[in-house]
Amino acid sequence: MQGGQASGTADLDQLVRSAREQIAAAPDEATLEQLRIDLLGKKGVMTATLRGLGSLPADQRAARGARANDVKNEIESMLTARTGALADARLETIGEREWMDVTFVPALARRGHLHPLSLILRDVKAIFSRIGYEVALGPEVEDDFHNFEALNIPAEHPARDTMDSFYLEGSPLLLRTHTSPVQIRYMQAHQPPIRIIAPGAVYRRDATDPYHGSQFHQVEGLCIDEDIRFSDLKGTIEYFCRSLFGADRRIRITGDHFPFTEPSAGAAVSCGICGGAGCRSCKGGWLEILGSGMVHPQVLRNGGIDPARFSGFAFGAGLERLAMLKYKIADLRAFLDDDVRFLRQF
Amino acid sequence: MAMLISLAWLRDYVDAPEPAAVADRLTLAGLEVERIIPHAVAFERVVVAEVTELRPLPGSGKNQIARVRTGGDLSEVVTGAWNLRVGDRVPYALPGSRLGERVIEPKTFLGVTSQGMLCSPIELGLGEDAGGIMILDRGAQPGADLRQLYPPDTIFELDLKSNRPDLFCHLGVAREVGALFKLAVRPPEGSRRRLKSNPALVTIEAPEGCRRFAGRLITGVRVAPSPAWLQARLHAAGVRPINNVVDVTNYVMLELGQPMHAFDHARLQGGRLVIRRARPGETLLALDGKERPLSPEFMVVADATRAQALAGIIGGEESAVTEGTTAVLLEAATWEPRRIRMTARQVGLRTEASTRFEKGLSPALSLPAVDRAAQLIHELAGGEEKDAADVYLEPLVPAVIELSAGELERTLGLVIPSADAKDILVRLGFAVEGQQELLLVTPPAFRLDCHIPADLVEEVGRIYGYDRIPSTLPGARTAVRELYQQARSADLAKDVLVGCGYEEAVTNTLVGVASTLRVHMPDAPKALRIKNPLAETRDALRQSLLPGLLEALSLNARQDQPGAGLFEIGAAFWSAGKGSDFPHEPRLLATVAHVAASSAGAAAVELRRVQAALRLLAERVGKAPIEFQPAQPVDGFHPGRTATLIQDGEPVGVVGELHPRVLAGFDLPGRVIAAEVVFDRFAQPDPPVPQARPLPRFPGVRRDLTVVVSGRILGNELMQVIRQRGGYTLREISMQSEYEGPQLGAGRRSLSFGLHYQADDRTLTSEEVSASYERIVEGLKERFQAEVRS
Ligand SMILES: [Zn+2]
Repeated sequence: MQGGQASGTADLDQLVRSAREQIAAAPDEATLEQLRIDLLGKKGVMTATLRGLGSLPADQRAARGARANDVKNEIESMLTARTGALADARLETIGEREWMDVTFVPALARRGHLHPLSLILRDVKAIFSRIGYEVALGPEVEDDFHNFEALNIPAEHPARDTMDSFYLEGSPLLLRTHTSPVQIRYMQAHQPPIRIIAPGAVYRRDATDPYHGSQFHQVEGLCIDEDIRFSDLKGTIEYFCRSLFGADRRIRITGDHFPFTEPSAGAAVSCGICGGAGCRSCKGGWLEILGSGMVHPQVLRNGGIDPARFSGFAFGAGLERLAMLKYKIADLRAFLDDDVRFLRQF
Repeated sequence: MAMLISLAWLRDYVDAPEPAAVADRLTLAGLEVERIIPHAVAFERVVVAEVTELRPLPGSGKNQIARVRTGGDLSEVVTGAWNLRVGDRVPYALPGSRLGERVIEPKTFLGVTSQGMLCSPIELGLGEDAGGIMILDRGAQPGADLRQLYPPDTIFELDLKSNRPDLFCHLGVAREVGALFKLAVRPPEGSRRRLKSNPALVTIEAPEGCRRFAGRLITGVRVAPSPAWLQARLHAAGVRPINNVVDVTNYVMLELGQPMHAFDHARLQGGRLVIRRARPGETLLALDGKERPLSPEFMVVADATRAQALAGIIGGEESAVTEGTTAVLLEAATWEPRRIRMTARQVGLRTEASTRFEKGLSPALSLPAVDRAAQLIHELAGGEEKDAADVYLEPLVPAVIELSAGELERTLGLVIPSADAKDILVRLGFAVEGQQELLLVTPPAFRLDCHIPADLVEEVGRIYGYDRIPSTLPGARTAVRELYQQARSADLAKDVLVGCGYEEAVTNTLVGVASTLRVHMPDAPKALRIKNPLAETRDALRQSLLPGLLEALSLNARQDQPGAGLFEIGAAFWSAGKGSDFPHEPRLLATVAHVAASSAGAAAVELRRVQAALRLLAERVGKAPIEFQPAQPVDGFHPGRTATLIQDGEPVGVVGELHPRVLAGFDLPGRVIAAEVVFDRFAQPDPPVPQARPLPRFPGVRRDLTVVVSGRILGNELMQVIRQRGGYTLREISMQSEYEGPQLGAGRRSLSFGLHYQADDRTLTSEEVSASYERIVEGLKERFQAEVRS
């Protein structure tokens, strides 16, 4: 634009007219921005005009100054108005110009899934943590003492028939057949009060079918203190079963036998499918879910705890069994297959 | 082991109430009733018939014609069975009769009309025997409806516990019913004849295998089919009738729990029995028709010359009681349970007898059993008791157990009056003396499972009823220790990986040693082998989670689920040196991600994704941030695409693309990215509690930096220079993107970084930031001849 010597008000009028035309003709916001710089910027026409005021006589300076400021304000407001109008027009058509098919949503993000054994174990841990239990872990490779002897299962005991074991080559060690050895290890390391649950993998040399596998998981519980009674075991089992399966479930405690508890008891919950009337999924309306009992005095002694002073109870359940009941899983083999079509259901 | 108990039989000894009530209480008391089977015959119009004449069916080599009499009527029947003799009583299905679904009509064979049908046990649903016509005892009245001989009954299928062999019989269950319902129990009567024990009749040469042997010689017996009531009971209990003598031995076992055997005395060399170990090379032709070699570890019952029975398991064919037998030598012995278990396992034969002996029967059962059998044989087959033996080397000494009222209450959590406790124990057969506060209890001789007060507490508790014990929670005193100290970090790590899109897997701990060799962590020692694997593909303990996860990926690929991403946190087993030492069981975390496409580019993208996930994991649960360094060659991994995870300067894991040869071994198409980390080394047991810092008071400045380099210059190296040159206001450098392409020219890559400047005490000026930026650019040019794009 012109930058020369500005003099009369006629120049300023001319400037306003020319600016108005150019602003009205500006097709977009970028052109307007360029106009703003040319007209009002540091090196623009208005700046030059105002700078030129200094050379005028003092009597003209005030009037011309006032007029120049008016012109500057006028141009500024024209620019602002035109910018607003252009923005409005642009936003008017934004829907047309930037249209998307919002129904086509490719799976760019996916979530993974926790294994059902993790899910059920989290439930179990949360339930027991509310009544003061902590988690204890033990090795999966065990010795005969912790897995059998200390639990009143000497060599040739018939209970060993149901716990056929995998042995390590060139070693007397075996894969634990249950999580009960964790009881012994924990007792050896801690005096009562003891309240633990011990989850983990166990191994039996059994052929695989929908209900059996050579590898599965158990969760063991142990509570030892002065004056622990069978009624406490019963209450704990009821609390656990109802917390896990629903407050409406009924619990049945029956006689049972385990070498490491005396008295021993089995626990069943009423079937959630038939409500206890009996169906294909249950046994006469009941689902057996855990074995339990008062810890045998000899087992306490084997763990270094005085049975004259302390008593306690223990219980154990199959995690797969709990998950099968809770999530209606039909086949035990699904737990180790890791078919993603199965895993993605949880 | 399942045991079948007939309600009708049970009611011989106790007035048991309705089946449902019995089943309920038995189950609560620990005798689990698995099924209640209504037991009624499924036939109609089947009567007892007497065979009056037998003649061949002309023109047939296979069939014969039987003339049978039912009451006054005579009929002719064609039968294919040859076990009939004139005078036999047999079941005869009249014309129009029903056998289950089947209706019997007259039928013509080679011109002879067969009116009805003579039936085998299996056709009547009265047994598994299809080999011949069922022979009834001679006392059965021709014309009588067979259903009268087989009245309706209820069968309980019990799942009994191994510690109570005394319950594997009707009297044992009757005692429990008596105690549960407070009913009197009437034990059956045995012979009262007391013969002096004759040491010549039975000799125990191997006392280590036999605790007691009671024998009885009965002469003048007439062997014949058992009467219908006896056959019906055996049938109800799932035992096949043979003849009256053998049936009595089985009946007594089902009644009193003591397995028995009957020898044909005339077939025994020397007329006596020797209890010894089998001799080397000795064999036995057993009652199941199989000839078995015997190990010197096995106990046998022999005559003067050879083995006649495999002790406690099965009798021999040679001395079996048959129709020609007139003198019977009965055996009721107590065998050492461990040897029975071992023998049964070795010969692969479990019988009704062996399953009872294995559990450890009381020697007190044998004499009453032999008395009872003698009585029944006398009633059913005639005969006289002629001789007896009872060799009992170390008689049981009954122990007295003290049970205090306090102990009962302390253990069970409720007060059971002493009188009630005493009543329960007495009904179960215990002898109880003593006062209110302290009972002196002697267990019955037939029970070997009670030794300590807790055993008695269980007896009282389960009969009194666990349902009557209140439900309480233990008192408020709880040990406060760190809850879940080990498990927390694993749970958090799982959440991170699930959030990154990976599925949690749980794979087999047992793997094939071949596959575990193919891929594993750099420092895993040699695999631990299983001595007695079930399959070759499961013969070792995993050293790495990767083989199991790859198996799972392969399964998924075959199930039309390519592109799966899995992770697992679990124990691996690393040998600690000597075989007897416990192995290390480090917890590992592994991920595998399948890339279905075979392009290197697709795999590269996935590798970056896995690495980014590992970095998130380190932020969440790691002991320190991780960085990646190009790895030395690792078994099973791609030589150009594998990194070691470094944390605090130490390697904690490996991540990379797997070697194509490994994938071939797992039958996996495409490519696989895998990572494995020693989780317990990598993660904090408990992640730190976040500690808040004040937000910066002055604004920071962000700059992007894109560098083009040639050759194998690493991002890590560029980062190092940027950090060194950037100055202290350069707070954060992030790796942002990588580009290779024709615009850059071969062998050239551009790497973009994000720079974040920040000062605590002032607003940074653009001059300061630009100065730092220029220093960085200079440094990169000098060190790597890098070109910087702005
Ligand atoms: Zn049901």
